[in-house]
Amino acid sequence: MLFSMMGLVAKSSSSIISFFPDKVPAEIPPYVADMKVRHLLAMASGHAKETGPALFAGGHDLVRTFLSIPPDQEPGTLFCYNQGCTYTLSAIITKLTGQRLVDYLGPRLFDPLGIDQTYWTQADEGIDLGFTGLHVTTETIAKLGIPTMIGGTDPSLTRVNNRWLFRCRPNDLYSSRVIADFGVNSLKLKKWAVVHSTDAFGSGGSKALTDALMAYSVEPVLVQGYTNNSQDFTPVVLAIKKSGADIIGTYMTNSQDLGIFAKQLRQLGVNATWVGSASIVTDTAMKLAGEALYGTYGVADFNPDANDEAKAFSKMYRTKYKLEPDVYSSWAFDAMNVIATALNGAKDTKPENIRNGIVGLKNWKGVEGIYNFDEAGDGLRGYNIVKNDNGKVAFVKHINFEK
Amino acid sequence: MEALANNFQVLFQGLALGSIYALVALGFVLIIRATNVVNFAQGDFAMLGAYMMVACLVGAGLPYWLSFLLALIGMGVFGILFNYGVYYPLRHRGFLPVIISTLGASIFLQNTVLAIFGAQPKRLDNVIQGGVQIGSVFLDSQYLVILAVTMVMVAFQYFLFEHTLVGKKLQATSQDKDMARLLGIPVALMIAITFIYSAALGGLAGVLVGPVLFVSIGMGSIIALKAFAATIIGGFGDVKGAIVGGIFIGVIESFAAYYISVPYKDAYAFMMLFLVLVFRPQGFFGERVSEKA
Repeated sequence: MLFSMMGLVAKSSSSIISFFPDKVPAEIPPYVADMKVRHLLAMASGHAKETGPALFAGGHDLVRTFLSIPPDQEPGTLFCYNQGCTYTLSAIITKLTGQRLVDYLGPRLFDPLGIDQTYWTQADEGIDLGFTGLHVTTETIAKLGIPTMIGGTDPSLTRVNNRWLFRCRPNDLYSSRVIADFGVNSLKLKKWAVVHSTDAFGSGGSKALTDALMAYSVEPVLVQGYTNNSQDFTPVVLAIKKSGADIIGTYMTNSQDLGIFAKQLRQLGVNATWVGSASIVTDTAMKLAGEALYGTYGVADFNPDANDEAKAFSKMYRTKYKLEPDVYSSWAFDAMNVIATALNGAKDTKPENIRNGIVGLKNWKGVEGIYNFDEAGDGLRGYNIVKNDNGKVAFVKHINFEK
Repeated sequence: MEALANNFQVLFQGLALGSIYALVALGFVLIIRATNVVNFAQGDFAMLGAYMMVACLVGAGLPYWLSFLLALIGMGVFGILFNYGVYYPLRHRGFLPVIISTLGASIFLQNTVLAIFGAQPKRLDNVIQGGVQIGSVFLDSQYLVILAVTMVMVAFQYFLFEHTLVGKKLQATSQDKDMARLLGIPVALMIAITFIYSAALGGLAGVLVGPVLFVSIGMGSIIALKAFAATIIGGFGDVKGAIVGGIFIGVIESFAAYYISVPYKDAYAFMMLFLVLVFRPQGFFGERVSEKA
């Protein structure tokens, strides 16, 4: 479509190397000279394997790398999903028009569709990636009407009257409810000190936690804010000491702040139980604070031991990538499986039917928990409570809410 | 009794933080005196020194004191590079291009360290573990070390400027480079020495503060802002002023945070700066411009 819009239909038979004579290797690999625009459009470059990973491992000149990878068979005879094809097409458009793909598409595609804010991630050489990396606003997603899975945790993301957004992580409101529930009902502690950063995350979390505690008729004995990058938490620790709190709930944004606070808290002899937002169990915070965080609790939407699905996923992930899975891999894994399940159950691929399939999932078991999507698009309503057990994150329990 | 203990704890923390500001402010003052310009990369000297310590101690696994020595030597060498790369080519173009050059160097340094070490902050252990417990007051050993080192460096710098020939030459270079040159003072060498010493001093501040504030890309900027305020409050370019200004800011912000409001902690330092600029623009120890003329 793009190429016909450009009036380049006649050039769909153009050879790829004709656009990049300066990037062709001295010895042209077999079949590379035969690759034409139409082959790349159809992802039929002849490569039997996706070239994307090789492109990014090959340096800053991705087109040069693409042209140095010999196709396995004659172009046009084999379909294989290939990011290198799309990227090279993006590079051709930039070469022919002098514009970035995103700018070129503006008046021709985005503007007529009413999409006014776009951003496209670029490769180092200044070419829009093409195959991925297009950023649009939630308003645009609403206009497009295609189910879109998100992993942002700001509660307002699913409160913007957009029926096409589906969140595969619990939103921040649930973290505060889980912290309050765990402290009040499981630990039976009622004298709360709430410590929070004064940024949007910390202030929002503090308010939500205070509200959640009030729902249990518990009024915090101290609510104490601080600005990010505080070098000294002595006044905060002394205020906690003075308040007589037996449990501390925190929403701290920066790992350094968390580390300094943890050290000073222990140095000044405060041994109250501490339940923090997810930042308390990040690898960085735990490394910085070390022993000062031992015995503390935190909330985590993903934990490898939280349920059978999480255990199985973690095993597969470690085997394949030789890495520990984290929340970013787990929610994306759930998102893909939610879509796949909805697609398999839908009679066709119409967006409305896929959407109905997603909303129709009941008690669907994912690695992040049990999904029940509401009309707003929120699928999860709970968090895991984890404990810093001498430097290791140990699963304690999962707390889930009906709504 | 508890109130007294709490006040003492707050005073101790304020003095310790103030000492850190004072150490970085001393670096500011040195360069101001030698070159008449403000080095906005001074805070990044602290950051770079701390990362050099991390590279030697944690990365290479070298012993503490060897790492400490290598970090300071590394910073001294960096001071030479900074002099010839950032200051020297622009020395005849007035103070503004040099200041912009130091700002550029600051951005360059932060991003270079980011590219090498990544965005995650690093941990450095205290020189001496633990601390001193007096009743309910805890004196962190690292803060005690910072206080002690600051006192030593203050004495050393005072001695250097007021009682040594090199110090006098540095001052002469600062006051009138042409006259200093006519008197046979090697001006370029004096300025190079200033940058070496100033970079090492900044690095020292970073190494000392790393265990308490952790080592991160932004650590220098946070300290430098307060240290710069301390330099102005104390009297622009005055050694005594930098020390008094640094400690003044540290103590005021600690007590104000304890008694008034924690979230406005950073504002108190700049409120003090504002008041000093209104009522005593030359700072605590600075000369009035009319007197200088």
